[in-house]
Amino acid sequence: MRNFWRISLVSGLFVSVVSLSLAQSITCTTKLSGKILGTENREPLIGATVYVRELSTGAVADSSGFFQIDRVCPGKYTLVYQFVGYKTRELLVRVTKDSVVTGASVQLAPENQTLQEVIVTEHRSEAQQLLQTQVSLSGAALDQTRGQSLGESLKSLAGLYSIQTGPSISKPVIHGLYSNRIIILNNGIRQEDQQWGTEHAPQVDQFLAARLTVIKGAASIRYGSDAIGGVILVEPKPMPTQVGIGGEVNVVGGTNGGLGVASGMLEGAFDKKLAGLSWRLQGTVKRSGYVRTPNYYLENTSYHENNFSGDLHYDHRNWGTEVFYSQFDTKVGLFTGAQVGSLADLYAAISSPQPLVQPGFSYALDRPYQDVQHDLLKVRAYIHGAKGGTLTATFARQQNTRREYDYVSFSGALNPELYLKLVTHTTDLVWEHAPIKTKTAGQWSGSLGFNGITQGNVRQYLFLIPNFRNYGAGLFAIERYAVGPWTVEGGLRYDYRWLRAYFLDEATKQTYSETHNWQNANGSLGVAYQLRPDLTLTANLSTAWRAPNVADLYSNGLHQSAVAYERGNPNLQPEQAYNGNLVLAYAGKRLSGEIGIYNNLINNYIYLKPDSVPIIRQRGAFPSYTYTQVQATFRGIDATLNYKLTDQLTLTTKNSLLYAYNHTDHGYLVFIPPNRSDNSLRYDWSRVGKLANLYVSLTGLYVARQNRAPAVTTRQENGQIIFTGDFLAPPPAYFLLGAELGFMTQVGRQSMNVSLSGSNLANVAYRDYLNRFRYFADEPGRNILLKIKLPFSVGKHS
Amino acid sequence: MKYFKNQLIWLAGVALLAGACNKDEQNVAPTDDNEAITTATLTLTNKATPTESVTATIENLNTTPDFSNATLNLKANTAYTGVISLLDKTKTPVLDATTEIREKANEHLFVYTPTPSNLLTITLTDIDTNPSPGPYPIGLTTEMKTGAAGSGKLKVVLRHQPNAKNGTAAPGSSDLDTDFTVVVK
Repeated sequence: MRNFWRISLVSGLFVSVVSLSLAQSITCTTKLSGKILGTENREPLIGATVYVRELSTGAVADSSGFFQIDRVCPGKYTLVYQFVGYKTRELLVRVTKDSVVTGASVQLAPENQTLQEVIVTEHRSEAQQLLQTQVSLSGAALDQTRGQSLGESLKSLAGLYSIQTGPSISKPVIHGLYSNRIIILNNGIRQEDQQWGTEHAPQVDQFLAARLTVIKGAASIRYGSDAIGGVILVEPKPMPTQVGIGGEVNVVGGTNGGLGVASGMLEGAFDKKLAGLSWRLQGTVKRSGYVRTPNYYLENTSYHENNFSGDLHYDHRNWGTEVFYSQFDTKVGLFTGAQVGSLADLYAAISSPQPLVQPGFSYALDRPYQDVQHDLLKVRAYIHGAKGGTLTATFARQQNTRREYDYVSFSGALNPELYLKLVTHTTDLVWEHAPIKTKTAGQWSGSLGFNGITQGNVRQYLFLIPNFRNYGAGLFAIERYAVGPWTVEGGLRYDYRWLRAYFLDEATKQTYSETHNWQNANGSLGVAYQLRPDLTLTANLSTAWRAPNVADLYSNGLHQSAVAYERGNPNLQPEQAYNGNLVLAYAGKRLSGEIGIYNNLINNYIYLKPDSVPIIRQRGAFPSYTYTQVQATFRGIDATLNYKLTDQLTLTTKNSLLYAYNHTDHGYLVFIPPNRSDNSLRYDWSRVGKLANLYVSLTGLYVARQNRAPAVTTRQENGQIIFTGDFLAPPPAYFLLGAELGFMTQVGRQSMNVSLSGSNLANVAYRDYLNRFRYFADEPGRNILLKIKLPFSVGKHS
Repeated sequence: MKYFKNQLIWLAGVALLAGACNKDEQNVAPTDDNEAITTATLTLTNKATPTESVTATIENLNTTPDFSNATLNLKANTAYTGVISLLDKTKTPVLDATTEIREKANEHLFVYTPTPSNLLTITLTDIDTNPSPGPYPIGLTTEMKTGAAGSGKLKVVLRHQPNAKNGTAAPGSSDLDTDFTVVVK
């Protein structure tokens, strides 16, 4: 921590190295002049303004960046230098009697560069110190994804995909793994929102994040068991330290689905007696109607979301505390064309190239739909000592209430078909020791911690998963040693998990329970070597485990939206992963990027295996699936490269290749993301008229056909056609064209970001292998999005 | 060391809060299906001799169906009036789904399919109140004519077709899909 403060202090000092010098002046005839330049290449900032606060007067820089203010009386003045796209600077100037003119120039730093600086200096979280392979989205790149769900916005990163259920439910996939194999840390808290369900999207407000970091590969040591696929960190903006009130308004509008999103944030910090106290309030409202594919609307794909959060921090010299509360409330309509009563309906839907019902546009949202609330209360406190390091204690309570409503045919029931209430308490205690310098100029850093969790789940109506209580405890230690170009990191973790599931014997009305417990120890080892100042090689080996969750063990019911009868298997063993990866990162002048390869071997990989005999219920026949364990590998390559063709024209290519195999059955696994290549060309102007940071970009996304999928076979049984492997072969490859235009402009004293983007511009009708509704309908067609971001400040806040 | 002591106090508080959670999960709610159909009964009455009727019932449709009373023993070359009844015995009192289907007749259609197809000739004899190009048949009451002696199956499917009923089986989804055994002598 201390290091970061030091770095930020140094950069702050750098900024305040005043290069403006004033010459003598004559009483009230003094001419105050200077030059305003950009820090990047010392180019004059034409049109930049200088404002003398005390005199309410100012001037504009000319084509050489020169400005002049006439008739200034002697005294002390505050000069405010401003330019769109650049960080505002305030400098104190003393005008003496004999001052005539000024001399040297003032340099303004570009806003985006400043943002990057903030990330590097103040916002380097503990995750970013880890050697593990990671990618992140922040600043302008994150702004481009505003209005999308968490799962959708991460898709722009190499190695990340998403599993969808229609256009509105999207779950992140890291290197082919998803659901319980990924941990989402929302503001430092392990998100627990029934994530075992493939149609259960993370209940996180994307606008809460100022940065999304993804740790790719097993990251169990620091973040707990289960993270055999990776970790997603949703990190909010650092709290304000400058006194005053500031905020930000984001508005997003989209043509497809009539999407409208508004998100507002207000924050402030106090001074004097309340110095150290800061607060933030934030809220988001999102509405969307029926989404349109190139040829028809998808009935009932409307979406509602209302979120709010509040954060209160108090930071003293060597200790601090935080209270954070957030609520996420969503109502998601499910495409009615995918609501099939039975296998026969599914076959009928598959054989129909288009949905039978194709209504016009509407914002209506009826059954079938999901209604989910997620509440999070977090209390955190830390104490910091120069020698003792930092000790942080965090407690959180989450409540996830999920109601799923199916079609009702005749009963007119108002009840949901499924009700699940999951209450999770987590507690974390982490001690990060102060860095220890060695005589050989090396440095030791590391942390030691405890994670505790308990959950209680209550179900009603139909049975899908049972009531349960679980307890988990983990102890970890991570130590890092850096010397010269080498950094070595090692970690150890021990976990214990206990689970008791409660059932009702329908005949005797007696409650009975079944109990499991598991324990496991894991380790990791990473090495980073800086070959050259611009070239780094990182290698990691880690193990991770995941205890079977209650859905794996005890699912027993018809998963209507999945057209499947799913059966748990109480004899499942924990999954054990052995993960290795190697990343080469290069940051040259024109070329930059990284190439990573990974191999994740998972023993006892749990998946739903189709049974040979379908199950017969009142609505007819359903395919049935049982949770089974196999040995599987997930291996692949992620490559991201940026090449500056000219100073203004940049070519970016992001490629994700994945190969997954089931060694036990010598076959491919279902639902594995196909290979993809995302290429874009971007042209930047530093300034055109009143527009700063103007850019246009053109993107082409190619997604290959998944040729490594289980073969689809059919056979006749009792007059029923039975499918195995899948119901339909993977859809063909597709290519999507996108474009974006963005700029920053000055509105009064605030600078506003505007972007206009289009997706699927060619309006291609296509289907995606990872969309569970691909049997029924096409993906969304063309969409034009307008995004506006307006930060503002009131009072002394800047 | 002072702050380690502080930590212990925090930890104790945290543990207290964690321990304060209730044990709701130990009260297990029974499984409750809004739309269960446990029992399907088909009653055929001889048109010529109304005192002569045949009944076949399938029980436990929502779990493991019981087909032991699911056979219709009919006379050859005879016309019958058919009535179908659907019950949900998981509810107390027992819910008569047939009444509710009649109330929502504009979005329901029974589809009767005999195998082999010449085993029975089936005509739906009731109609809904759908506006033009409706009305359409419902199928709660039918006329079934037997042909020559033989045996086979009668598939009964209840289609739920909200805002989409057009007189054919295609739109919507199935609420019921089951088979009665038919013996014609």
